[in-house]
Amino acid sequence: MSNKVAIIASNGGLFDAYKVFNIATAAAATEKEVAIFFTFEGLNLIHKQGMHALPMPAGAEHYAEGFAKANVPAIPQLVEMAQELGVKFIACQMTMDVMGLTTDDFVEGIEVGGAVTFLEFAKDAAPSLTF
Amino acid sequence: MSIKVDFQLDAKGLSCPMPIVKTKKAMADLVDGQILEVSATDKGSKADIAAWAESVGHQYIGTMEEESVLKHYIRKCSDDTMDEKIFERTIGLEEAMEREGLILDVREEAEFAFGHIKGAKSIPMGELDARLSELDKKQEVYVVCRTGKRSDLAAQKLTAHGFTKVFNVLPGMTSWTGDLTAFSSVEMEELSLRTPRPVATTE
Repeated sequence: MSNKVAIIASNGGLFDAYKVFNIATAAAATEKEVAIFFTFEGLNLIHKQGMHALPMPAGAEHYAEGFAKANVPAIPQLVEMAQELGVKFIACQMTMDVMGLTTDDFVEGIEVGGAVTFLEFAKDAAPSLTF
Repeated sequence: MSIKVDFQLDAKGLSCPMPIVKTKKAMADLVDGQILEVSATDKGSKADIAAWAESVGHQYIGTMEEESVLKHYIRKCSDDTMDEKIFERTIGLEEAMEREGLILDVREEAEFAFGHIKGAKSIPMGELDARLSELDKKQEVYVVCRTGKRSDLAAQKLTAHGFTKVFNVLPGMTSWTGDLTAFSSVEMEELSLRTPRPVATTE
């Protein structure tokens, strides 16, 4: 049985962030080795400022109340939790170049890599997930 | 009601995946064999905690619901398999059931509360020394636990204290297919009246 979970985060909305970080922290808490490859809009999820103000999907703004009521942790809190549990964050170098971003724009402790970095991790991971 | 536990974790008001994340962290403070009680209001936590324990290798004992708070009981066990049989006088579960004598269940109180053989007496392994006087040396004693590991130790201990009619029941409750009795409402009531023993709380 594989002890690795590989996740690709390629979208930058609030819902996307919850899908990514909930699965990642749950997997890490279950003693899996977890890596997330952040690419394209997915980079928003670990952007120092961006992660504090991720957009809801258009037309879903009314869910804000539900999030507050269910006492769902804020994304920056989940990011911190994930890192504390040892989840590896890999930011996509190519996307960073296109968007003019550097490691200073992101939370501490990330790795920067290309597609092969992720593929190498993911080759024996199960499940591999894309959000 | 209060079941005797070693650690308590308050995860009330937290949503998924926080109860699991906190449980994982809390578990690090326990030594093998200790019991953690997790209080949570996230309804999904019941299935999640059970799946988590199964995946990580701890023993999920059960969940009770009280006034919309779920109380989950987990026993830390990195290795509960019976690796070394020291006590030689053993008896099969079914055979023991057919004989006269006392079934002595040395699992933790929480494990006992969620299901035991009808009529069995509960003395957790850790309390055995202090409660030997509750047992009759003249009676046959069939010691049972989950896998046979703790009961092996308990049987040795009883023998060392002069008990001669002691048997270790193998395999243990993991192989029990007969009826299980959970605590009755009266027993639950008694537990709730008991002064809770101070327990460590974990953040």
